[in-house]
Amino acid sequence: MATEVIMPKVDMVMETGTFVEWLKNEGEHVNKGDPLFTIMTDKAAIEVEAPGEGVLAGLKAKLDDVIPVTEVIAYLLGPGEALPVETVFQPQAVVTTSTPPTTEAVTVSEPAATVVEVVGLDKVRATPVARRMAEDLGFDLAQVQGRGPGGRIHRADILAYQEEQRSTAPVAELEVQTAASVPLMSVSVPLPNARQKKVVPLAGPRKIIAERMAASAFTAPHITLSLHVDMTEAIRLREQVLEPLKVQTGQRVSYTAILARAVATVLPRHPYMNASLADGDIILWEDIHLGIAMSVEENLMVPVIREAQSRSLGQIVTALADLTERARNRRLTSAEMTGSTFTISNLGMFGIESFTAIINPPESAILAVGKMMDTPVKCADGYMFRPMIQLTASADHRIVDGVGVARFLDDLKATLENPYLLI
Amino acid sequence: MNTNHTREITYLEAVREAMIQEMRLNKEVFLIGEDVGTYGGAFGVSKGMLEEFGPERIRDTPISEAAIAGAATGAALMGMRPVMEVMFMDFLTISTNQLVNQAAKMRFMFGGKCSIPMVIRAPSGSGTGAAAQHSQSLEAWFVNVPGIKVVAPSSPYDAKGLLIAAIRDNNPVLFMEHKLLYRLKGPVPEEPYTIPLQSAEVKREGRDLTIVAYSIMVPRALEAAEKLAAEGIEVEVVDPRSLKPLDKETIIRSVSKTGRVLITHEAPGTGGYGGELAAVIAGSAAFDYLDAPIRRLAGRDVPIPYNRTLEQAAVPQVEDIVAAARELAQEGR
Repeated sequence: MATEVIMPKVDMVMETGTFVEWLKNEGEHVNKGDPLFTIMTDKAAIEVEAPGEGVLAGLKAKLDDVIPVTEVIAYLLGPGEALPVETVFQPQAVVTTSTPPTTEAVTVSEPAATVVEVVGLDKVRATPVARRMAEDLGFDLAQVQGRGPGGRIHRADILAYQEEQRSTAPVAELEVQTAASVPLMSVSVPLPNARQKKVVPLAGPRKIIAERMAASAFTAPHITLSLHVDMTEAIRLREQVLEPLKVQTGQRVSYTAILARAVATVLPRHPYMNASLADGDIILWEDIHLGIAMSVEENLMVPVIREAQSRSLGQIVTALADLTERARNRRLTSAEMTGSTFTISNLGMFGIESFTAIINPPESAILAVGKMMDTPVKCADGYMFRPMIQLTASADHRIVDGVGVARFLDDLKATLENPYLLI
Repeated sequence: MNTNHTREITYLEAVREAMIQEMRLNKEVFLIGEDVGTYGGAFGVSKGMLEEFGPERIRDTPISEAAIAGAATGAALMGMRPVMEVMFMDFLTISTNQLVNQAAKMRFMFGGKCSIPMVIRAPSGSGTGAAAQHSQSLEAWFVNVPGIKVVAPSSPYDAKGLLIAAIRDNNPVLFMEHKLLYRLKGPVPEEPYTIPLQSAEVKREGRDLTIVAYSIMVPRALEAAEKLAAEGIEVEVVDPRSLKPLDKETIIRSVSKTGRVLITHEAPGTGGYGGELAAVIAGSAAFDYLDAPIRRLAGRDVPIPYNRTLEQAAVPQVEDIVAAARELAQEGR
């Protein structure tokens, strides 16, 4: 079967790539790993290597073509292989040949003008566990060589492919060429001499989190400020709207929803807290796309409530319930998990009193929310217990200064302590 | 298991002990079948029971399996807890109308106003040179009948615990006793105990593949596992023990762990119980962990031959299990 050359998916959110140029000519023999073509993503120009060995044929991409990821843009033909053609299933062929239809592409004597993937008969053979692993790791099964019967891909083949991917160039190349990427391990230190329980490959979502967080931590100078907020009035507000909103939305109002509403109200007054640094400019966003950090199967996910500034508390409750539900079922699209302009991370439910978060790039700030605790507060006749939470904002000092963060936090505190301002 | 009172007895003795203890405990329990009295049963299972319990409770019948099943069903309907014995499982063909159309249906058709607490003890399987009409394993027919439970123990310990549970169950339970297992010895506690009817057991742990086996195939699978261990292939052997109701969870958990499964039984493969097991596994959470197609190793689709060599060739032997398991374990590795 001819090796497919596809538009690669080089980052999690990439849906299309812009083709730049072929680095080899049609008919030229290429080896696996040879630089084959160049594409442009929204981050950088990337050289893509040949996925296999063969004669380059059936080129379908040219300069400035915008091509969906995984679409076939050429083939690499081995000895005796021809370009696949669109297969209209032909019963006669099955009757006259003694062999059943195989995964071999139907061959024709001359290269056909219409090069379309063979449909139906050309499915990759893989065991269920191999398919699941490929999906988890973001591998294209078509690129994996199966060593089981009939070329079936087994678990062992995925592991071998993963090992191969780790040791070959494309990954390293991406790290160097994409501006946002920072090497994950810049210093080589010896590993401890200890027994290993398990080695978990840094791949898939974990790898993306690792790259982004490292990039944020090592490029954005973080400043971190925190204060305490008295939640007495916010609790009262929640109690009063709990029933009516339950009737209206079918959901219970969470403190995360109230915080989201408060942040969305306050942020427009602090534009540098809702901003991005890009190509030497600071972009102040009109819209507040509020990212809500959550953990799904050990991975960080940040689904986004879009245009939160124009949503009522009820609408935020509904949006949050929907996103949470679908995040748990892994039904979120990548579009719903990207493009936030500010993020809230609430670890109060785990008993965390306060913490500092790393900014979710390309945002300028993130709010870390701690647990609500009855805390003694001085009053006229001694001390009284008030339900307090600690809010901690981390901000990119390139974009905003300490005073700017302080004003935002103070404003947020005032709003939460007098939540009727939310109306 | 209380080891203080545990000693080695045979599978046959375990079955007898279960009946004796339940009959001492409960006057409603009695044994009915052909030659179960003076003769002690076709395989000697009820030997000595006539002396203790007398002919009222150890009832010899005419040669009519339809009459045995009908009498047992009627007795159960009237509040007794009969244990009926057929000499060979093959003869259940004659009892089938009573069992399938009456015993299995009454509780449902009378809206739960009656129950049919009876046990059908049936010596099954080949390997004794008893030829085609005395060597069958007919479990697949009966698991397909709602209202009948089917149990197939593989060890003396399981035989006693499952038979007591079957006698105490308020539904008809088909209790398969493999003829070749009768002489198998194993540790069995003296005092009565039960094993729940929906509890599979992992008979051996392993990481490379799961063999699901019941009845005679369990000791064969364990022997195969021992041989494969010498080659570095670690086999997990799971015994469902009761085919219906089936403890799916234990099987699914094991297959999810190993990613490969060989299902083996003595009955012919086509329409066999292995197909049900395969469907349960393929339709479960274990699907996502499968790293090779589910494989069945069953008896050939032939009547059991009389010729000893052909008889052995007709059903999976230890070497067949070793070969199939080895191939499956190595596929794509």
